[in-house]
Amino acid sequence: MIGLNHYLVLSGLLFAIGLVGVLRRKNLLMLFFATEIILNAANVAFAAISHYYNDLSGQMFAFFIIAVAASEVAIGLGLLILLYKKHGTLNLDDLASMKG
Amino acid sequence: MNSILSILVFFPALAAMLGFVVEKNSARAYGISIAAIEFLLSLWLWISFDSTSGAMQFVEYIPLIKDFGISYYLGVDGISLFLIVMTTFMTLIGMMSLSIKTDIKNMIITLLFLEMTMVGVFVALDAIIFYLFWELSLVPMLYIIGAWGGPLRVYAAIKFFLYTFAGSLIMLVGMLYMAYIFHEASGVWTFSITEWHRLALPIDTQLWLFAAFFLGFAIKVPMFPFHTWLPYAHGQAPTIGSVILAAVLLKMGTYGFVRFSLPMFPDASVMMILPIAILSLIMVVYTAMIAYAQKDIKQVIAYSSVSHMGIIMLGLFAMNSIGITGSIFQMISHGIVSGALFMLVGMIYDRRHTKLMSEFGGLASVMPKFALIFGVMLMASVGLPLTIGFVGEFMVLMGFFIVSPFLTVIAGTSIILGAVYMLALFKKSFFGPVTNDENLKLNDLTGTEIAALVPLVIVVIWLGIAPSPMLQTIDKSVNNTLILMSHKAQLPETKNTIFIAPQSTKETK
Amino acid sequence: MEKFVYIALFAPLVSSLFAGLFAMSKPAKFVGVIASMLLASAFIASSLLAYHVATVGAVHVTLMDWISVANLSIPFGFIVDKISVTMMVVVTLVSTIVHIYSIGYMDHDKSFNRFFSYLSAFVFSMLVLVMSDNFAGLFIGWEGVGVCSWLLIGFWYHKPDLTREQNPSISPSWAANEAFIMNRIADLGMLVGIMILFWVTGSLQYDVVFAALPSIAASVNGSYILVAAAIALFIGAMGKSAQFPLHTWLTDAMEGPTPVSALIHAATMVTAGVFLVIRANPLYSMEAVEGVSFFIAALGTFVAFFAASMALVNRDLKRIIAFSTLSQLGYMFAAAGLGAYWIALFHLAAHAFFKALLFLGGGNVMHAMHDELDIFKMGGLRKKMKWTHIYMFVSSLSLAGIPLFAGFFSKDAIIETAFNEGTIVLWAILVLTAGMTAFYSFRQVFLTFWGDERYKEHGIHPHEMYKFVLIAMSPLAILAVIAGFFQTQFQAFVTSISTLPFGSLPNYEMSEHTHHLVWILTAVVLTVAISGIALAWFKYGKKLIRSEKTENSFIYKLLANQYYIPQLYEAIITKPYAELSQVMWQKVDMKVVDATVDFIARVVYKSGDKSRAMQTGNLSHYLNWMGLGAVLLMVATVIFSIIYNING
Repeated sequence: MIGLNHYLVLSGLLFAIGLVGVLRRKNLLMLFFATEIILNAANVAFAAISHYYNDLSGQMFAFFIIAVAASEVAIGLGLLILLYKKHGTLNLDDLASMKG
Repeated sequence: MNSILSILVFFPALAAMLGFVVEKNSARAYGISIAAIEFLLSLWLWISFDSTSGAMQFVEYIPLIKDFGISYYLGVDGISLFLIVMTTFMTLIGMMSLSIKTDIKNMIITLLFLEMTMVGVFVALDAIIFYLFWELSLVPMLYIIGAWGGPLRVYAAIKFFLYTFAGSLIMLVGMLYMAYIFHEASGVWTFSITEWHRLALPIDTQLWLFAAFFLGFAIKVPMFPFHTWLPYAHGQAPTIGSVILAAVLLKMGTYGFVRFSLPMFPDASVMMILPIAILSLIMVVYTAMIAYAQKDIKQVIAYSSVSHMGIIMLGLFAMNSIGITGSIFQMISHGIVSGALFMLVGMIYDRRHTKLMSEFGGLASVMPKFALIFGVMLMASVGLPLTIGFVGEFMVLMGFFIVSPFLTVIAGTSIILGAVYMLALFKKSFFGPVTNDENLKLNDLTGTEIAALVPLVIVVIWLGIAPSPMLQTIDKSVNNTLILMSHKAQLPETKNTIFIAPQSTKETK
Repeated sequence: MEKFVYIALFAPLVSSLFAGLFAMSKPAKFVGVIASMLLASAFIASSLLAYHVATVGAVHVTLMDWISVANLSIPFGFIVDKISVTMMVVVTLVSTIVHIYSIGYMDHDKSFNRFFSYLSAFVFSMLVLVMSDNFAGLFIGWEGVGVCSWLLIGFWYHKPDLTREQNPSISPSWAANEAFIMNRIADLGMLVGIMILFWVTGSLQYDVVFAALPSIAASVNGSYILVAAAIALFIGAMGKSAQFPLHTWLTDAMEGPTPVSALIHAATMVTAGVFLVIRANPLYSMEAVEGVSFFIAALGTFVAFFAASMALVNRDLKRIIAFSTLSQLGYMFAAAGLGAYWIALFHLAAHAFFKALLFLGGGNVMHAMHDELDIFKMGGLRKKMKWTHIYMFVSSLSLAGIPLFAGFFSKDAIIETAFNEGTIVLWAILVLTAGMTAFYSFRQVFLTFWGDERYKEHGIHPHEMYKFVLIAMSPLAILAVIAGFFQTQFQAFVTSISTLPFGSLPNYEMSEHTHHLVWILTAVVLTVAISGIALAWFKYGKKLIRSEKTENSFIYKLLANQYYIPQLYEAIITKPYAELSQVMWQKVDMKVVDATVDFIARVVYKSGDKSRAMQTGNLSHYLNWMGLGAVLLMVATVIFSIIYNING
């Protein structure tokens, strides 16, 4: 039987994968993917816990996050394309113009 | 005239705005006339002031942010009245003696803006308004030092700004906490100082708040060991900057003690008499010694300022009317005398572009008028009777004597040490043969300079001979403060230490 | 009578302001003349007041309030009673003569007008000092004369500093500062005395303070308070009257023009300390402060001897007279300390006359000798300066206490008092000092006016002073001779009951026993004095014979160098103070206090500078930091929740 713990472990794994992606990846596009994975880790946890407690607000929240993530990706990818057009790269090591 | 205080505060600021459209050549004349009008207004304030009452007068009250009890609340009493008159007077005199050539228009505008903030500090009765003017006064001074100062001006300006700013931020925290406590106690938010005065606080709260306010004020005064910004600021500031700094800005610190610390925290103040007296004595003796070691005339006067401020601090904590009134009088006296001395140093600097004593010698033969006025101011500075300098110093020592005879004797050494460094200064620069050929062709004071200095000489002698009307006006308010303190005091020692003289039945003639 | 009080007081002020108007213009005779006339009017007003006080009674006026606040009330009040009027007459008389004298003496000086301004300002301050009806007013005058003395000692401010070997006073401006600062040290004592009296009596008015003394003495610790007040006030007196150890300024003050030395540093200002003790006689005659009074007498006696010893070997004409002033002030303090206030006041007046005369005569000599002061370079001047010689001879006789001259009556009375009080040691020292006084006065007279004409070797052509100056000096000469005859009248005047409380002095009479011995005592003193003169004549009457051996002896050197006290002060006070100041500034203030502030500022700055490295601009690094932060926050949360759970 698949219980709440399995979902939470999955969510934790996804979160860890996303986190490693955020910390280790140098390409902005990959960072985007990693953040999407983190968001979806949260979504999985929300949905699972919502089901466990028989409370729909968790699932509602998950939908909300999906919507926000979608719009964020739309704008974010647009910005990425502009950035790529301007600098010809999406590698973070080459984009350090804010060095203090 | 109900809004005379608002006019006093904002007239210079408005005039400063208009100053931007004034022709560059007439900027000086414009500045002098505005400062003169402002001075006359303050004289009018003095004349219409009811000197038989020690209460707040000409009060203006407009709530600004009701929910937090912040209001536009102004008023003046005997304590602040003469500081306001002194401020406008010294601004006028400073303006008249202005010898700066570059960016004269900006200087005039800055000065007028500075005048607004200084008057504002002395009339504000709402802590937030007070704080506002207090901090705003830093900006023009920063600009004056930073833009017209000597070679190290940026260091000096930033040191001055950051140091005093750090202190006042702590004071702001104290103010907010005070308002919070007031809210806890009464359920009402208010920043009105007069309301705060009525609240009796527990002893430990008093001590904490005293400490917070102390830092803000002590750095401004400046008390030992927070004084080191002062020599730099004076050393680098142009003459006008030093004059205003010594005459008025330092007094804001001591004024803060009378306005906030004493009436709000009577028990803490009495408990802190000894530590503060010790710091004051260090100021008096230690800086007098340092002044003696200086080679630069301006630095001697800068350090002597610290020494005199020590006397003022001592008087404030005498907890009796003689000491506090004397101390407030000494604020006026020091403002005028040290302002005049800085002006005089500025005049010799304009001629020789140096302030080192070793460059001079024998100036009395070459510039007799200059030497005469310098001599008068020197005597006032060392506290010669019948000059303005003696009255305050004498009363402070007299007042503090009842608190501690021993400490008073140590403080009294200021009359010796003051004479030592001032006379050494005078001898090195004015006496002896003229050794430096460059000094031989120096011109004596010009008409403009004499016009700026003579009023100061008159005030120095007039208030030395007839200080009584002023003292009595100050005393009325000081007495009210003392009664309030004694009334609020919780510890029996506090009540015993605060000495309220029976009001004399004799009326002023 | 109030009119005369104000004339006496303000005529010198008007004179000073008038002369001050011309201070920066060319020397003008009329300035001196008008100043002298105004001073003369002050003298006439004082004399009329003296007559009024003697016949009608004392005058008390209040001009206005000075400081009046809370429980402190100080008016500008002036009292003309038997004590102050005596001082007023002496001060205005001597100063009028000195003013006239100065017209002649200062005639070549380019700052002639300024001189009169200062001199009259001094007289005004001195009158405020003696006439004030309260201690604060006394202090005003006290400081006022101090400043005038500073201005006048440093009158020739343009002279350069020399080494102590070239000029023992270094320079006029140096001497002026020394005088001012030393007086300030004493003034602090005086201020403390004033504060003590104020806080125990609630007033500074003489009559209130003195009336309250008995009740204070009766209270708990009252006698200690009174002793403290008496000591503090006497410290003030020590400074002004140059008593040991604050005496070095007086001889250095001789750098000022000679009329100044005559007026300020002989006749008037330096006696202010004695005046203070006399004025405060109700305090000093209290039983509780007996010890202090005896100390005053003992110190006075010591100074009388100490100063006379230094005068024995000095070669500087003015310094000899200055030492003698110091010595005579010691006599006055001895009398005042022993309770013989009227005798002290009498000697004060007589001394003012003959000492001013002596100084002015010295001024004539200086004028004649082109500012040469070394008496070893003079001699035989009596042929050229007949009148000056007579004046100086007369005043020296008076100073030496030869019968019929003023000094005999006043000084002898003091010595007699010492015997009468049973203080035989003091008496013996005072008698010995009288002999020394006679010796050094006549040593100076003989070396200057008698013997071989040594000035010729130095190419100086002396000449007698202007006639009007000599005539102006004559009143002093007459008084130096005859003042003594009025001893009994003077005693009756100052000790009879006054119309105002504390307006006269307690009487002092010799006991029967002393009275019987009076001839023997006088004879002893006289013998000592005459042998002093005789010794001076044998050594210096014919010609100056210098002996290498004596001049190189230890004692001679010790005396000639004033017991090395100026050097000692320089070594243990002046220099260490300057060095300590330097250390305080450069080591403490700059290296500790300021460095601490800068250190705090630097820590903030450096920490920002170091952490700036985190800001690489690389988003990836930021995200790493963010991750680290999140982990740290989680760890912190866990730790805190564990602690919270344990506690709670």
